[in-house]
Amino acid sequence: MIRLPWIAEPRIGRTGPRALLAPLIAVVTTVAAAVILMSSQGVAPSRAIWQLYIAPLSSLYNLSEVLLKMAPLLIIAQGLAIGFRAKVWNIGAEGQLLLGAIGGSLLPLWFNDSVNPMMLPAMALCGMLFGMGWAALAAFLRTRFNANEILVTLMLNSIALQLLYYLVSGPLRDPYGFNFPQSAPFPPVAMLPSLFGMGRTNVSIIVALLATVAAWIFAERSMTGYKLQVGGVAPDAARYAGFREKRAVWLSLCIGGAAAGLAGVFEVGGPLGQLQRVVSPGYGFAAIIVAFLGGLNAIGILFAAFFMAVIYVGGDMAQASAGVPYAVNTSLQGVLLVSYIAARLFIDYRVRWRRDITQQGVN
Amino acid sequence: MGTTLAFLLSGTLLAATPLLLAAIGELIVERSGILNLSIEGMMALGAVVGFATIMATGSHWLALGAGGTAGVALSVLFAGVVLLALGNQVATGIAVGILGLGLSGLIGKSYEGMTVAPMKRMPIPVLSEIPIIGPGLFNHSLLVYLAPLLAVGLWWMLRSTRIGLVIRAVGESPESAHAIGYSVLMTRFLAIMVGGFMAGLAGAFIATVSATLWSDGLIAGRGWIVVALVVFATWRVDRLVIGAYLFGLATIAELLVQGMGISVPSQLLTSIPYIATIIAISILSMDSRKMRLNSPASLGRTYNSTA
Amino acid sequence: MSMKHRMTSWIAAACMALPLTGMAVTAEPVMIGLIYPTPVADVGWAKQLDLAREAVEEAYGDRVTTRVVENIPEGPDAGRVMNQLVADGAKFVVLGSFGYMNDGLRLAQRSPDVDFIHASGFRQTENLGTFTARSYEGFYLTGMAAGMVTESNTIGIVAAFAIPEVIAEVNSIALAARKENPDVNIRIVWVNTWFDPAREQEAARALISQGADVVFSLHQDTPSVVNVAQAEGVYVVNTGSDMSAHGPDAVLGSVVTDWNSYFVEAVGKSLDGEFTGYDERGGLASGMVSVAAWNDALTEEQMGRIEEVEAALRSGEVHVFAGPLNDQSGTERVAEGEVLPDPEIFGMDWLVEGLSGSLPQ
Repeated sequence: MIRLPWIAEPRIGRTGPRALLAPLIAVVTTVAAAVILMSSQGVAPSRAIWQLYIAPLSSLYNLSEVLLKMAPLLIIAQGLAIGFRAKVWNIGAEGQLLLGAIGGSLLPLWFNDSVNPMMLPAMALCGMLFGMGWAALAAFLRTRFNANEILVTLMLNSIALQLLYYLVSGPLRDPYGFNFPQSAPFPPVAMLPSLFGMGRTNVSIIVALLATVAAWIFAERSMTGYKLQVGGVAPDAARYAGFREKRAVWLSLCIGGAAAGLAGVFEVGGPLGQLQRVVSPGYGFAAIIVAFLGGLNAIGILFAAFFMAVIYVGGDMAQASAGVPYAVNTSLQGVLLVSYIAARLFIDYRVRWRRDITQQGVN
Repeated sequence: MGTTLAFLLSGTLLAATPLLLAAIGELIVERSGILNLSIEGMMALGAVVGFATIMATGSHWLALGAGGTAGVALSVLFAGVVLLALGNQVATGIAVGILGLGLSGLIGKSYEGMTVAPMKRMPIPVLSEIPIIGPGLFNHSLLVYLAPLLAVGLWWMLRSTRIGLVIRAVGESPESAHAIGYSVLMTRFLAIMVGGFMAGLAGAFIATVSATLWSDGLIAGRGWIVVALVVFATWRVDRLVIGAYLFGLATIAELLVQGMGISVPSQLLTSIPYIATIIAISILSMDSRKMRLNSPASLGRTYNSTA
Repeated sequence: MSMKHRMTSWIAAACMALPLTGMAVTAEPVMIGLIYPTPVADVGWAKQLDLAREAVEEAYGDRVTTRVVENIPEGPDAGRVMNQLVADGAKFVVLGSFGYMNDGLRLAQRSPDVDFIHASGFRQTENLGTFTARSYEGFYLTGMAAGMVTESNTIGIVAAFAIPEVIAEVNSIALAARKENPDVNIRIVWVNTWFDPAREQEAARALISQGADVVFSLHQDTPSVVNVAQAEGVYVVNTGSDMSAHGPDAVLGSVVTDWNSYFVEAVGKSLDGEFTGYDERGGLASGMVSVAAWNDALTEEQMGRIEEVEAALRSGEVHVFAGPLNDQSGTERVAEGEVLPDPEIFGMDWLVEGLSGSLPQ
């Protein structure tokens, strides 16, 4: 039988500043991988790093693009992290986002000539309800039938995509759009106002920051948030404290679904301006990365979302300006998360060589 | 009509084979208690490496082997993070999957839109002469026959061999398995390697045997269907085989029905496997006794093999 | 020739050359940005756009530089990429996909000094033009050929999406094939994807198993269907590029779109500061659409008939959608002696009489 030459003991309690080590390792690994991959494409390493990590912050316009990209990632990841801390694995944010986009599109499509200023809040509410409802399906199946929420939310992603395809090529298709599979454009009242007139950034980033504050308060200062977390770390203790697991499942999935739904509304009411077949370039999955990268911590997620957005935008810019294939960017996202998760070992566990332990003896 | 029926059979087999191959691997992985969500990425990497190999060597068998090996390579990374670094399986699977998709796009750039010659078929003597059934079922490339045989082998292994017992024990409760002296680490590592090989093989099958071309996005979500299939089968091999062929049948039947001039709600049809999976897992999970029988209880849970 | 004369002509030549050399020294080359929805491959949509880019480079030499961004999906990121191109100094931008329309229109409004051309679009502005090929004319000719060569009297069509462009092509094939061969039976499979080669191939095999011995590959970007046709020994007609290298025996003809002269013309206008957004729809007459790689199986007599119709289509003497034309329900869509006007061709949402199956929602 194989015995690993080291021992990993779970750390109890707060991790403190050591927690910053993992993101640091991940970023260094990713930058190194970026240099290697970019060089393989014939781009000088310094230029590669400039394109990927500095150029996105080099002008007000680029920064606005980063913020635009950051908003959905941040909103979804904050919602997901609440569930992840309670060990409720909602990986259906992509589908919940699509449902939110669909729900948010109904009002501007039904009232296409509306000038009512309440349009946007109503869309947001509608989208959140749709996203929540989609996630609630998984919560229901989990609490009623004990069906694994990872698998159910995963399946619901694929179904949501087909539902979107059906709607944009059927009932919600633009009657004057030459049969192209997309909806009519939204009226101006259904479009998010842009921020300080800089680029495409809109109020979604403000909402995302507010969501971050709310998530932080919920996790650190509220009883429900505390109970949820305890339920995740020590289910028995939570049950003892009178906290029902079912409630944790419902709460986690509904919050995650509503957040993803809101992000969906912000996509159709923001950069897209209509409902179409491609609503999200995988925000729902990327947000899972962001949530983990931020250590499932509201403040950590803020930085993680920012970093991911920089990489996304940098990747697009590297492609437009230096001809670097987008696949490089996709690969780097993989490297970033893989190395982060691996590095978490040293934060969540105390790793010691067995040899050292036997020398010290048992104490 | 005869050729249509023959195609209904042969098309079903051809569409189902890569799904079945990858699902066999994933079933072993999940039975050992590990949820590997990177199948899509592993299939894509296997597909492009297989395609590159056939472009260089012209050999289908080398291509299939290379595709499988590429899957193994990615699996080593997945296993390392999940087993040694004790990373969350869901997040690691998604991350490795993204990495696989990215690398496949990168490697495949110079092969975009190219085609290769199809693999030689191996008609089975006598049987392939039977009308309809012959060309439908018995005139394929070797892997198409091999896939169901592999499934039977897997069924037998899980049921009647010591290795099967160890895999099931480890998936059921790694703590107990460890206590009675099984190596959880080694078992899971090997299971993940097999799973990666099969996913890579399935990808290479699509690129070099069934589609005979490479293009970024070739796998088109089939990796997620594989994950769905294993759950739909509720971790049972017999249901896995039925599920894979049913899925293939539905795909082909839809196209044939359209060709007859009957319109079909294609989005609904595409959703059916996922809906069926949700229903299947709900029904199965409802009865906790039945659930115990086949489902790996420790699925997705991190197990610290150093403790 | 006298000395004086020589002198003057020399001076004249020098004077003429001066402004040119002056320009070459001082003027920065104009940057042209191109965005494609798919990677540039051997063949396919992006390849045809890229050939036109090369034609522009050849035509204007040092006066232009080009920059390509490929594989940009039609989503929220497309806007950023085109913004980036303009921010980097592009003065002429090619938007290579219908789905870039909204972002393109917004950017065009914000950047009045940049000229845009947009594939398959239907909205033009002061500085944004659109371009579409009348591929249905090419499919009329190949539809005739299909009607001539089919022995099973069954033609199969693998179609991407039921958008007007594709519907017009389906109708065109049906009209032509039936005119050549009234017994022809046409089967259509809508794969409802722009991109899933394996599914496209399954669709092609399904049609072949239902007796089709000519298969049309409508808007598949890879040689997926061509590959199947070659393996199964049937004829195939594909869209976009000449794909005969992938099916030397199978390709009956490739309906090729050639953007070269249009791109050269549009860029030329832009360089001269004379570009205004206009709608370019070219067919056989302008050379934007042509049929390449006619199969040798077509006899001289058959090719003669096809060429006759091609000449008539070019001259405008014959029109693909000339009345009388009925739709599936038997309702008259085009009256005798009339032709379908352009807006209705590019907004087509009905199938011609005799085709079975309804359009997918």
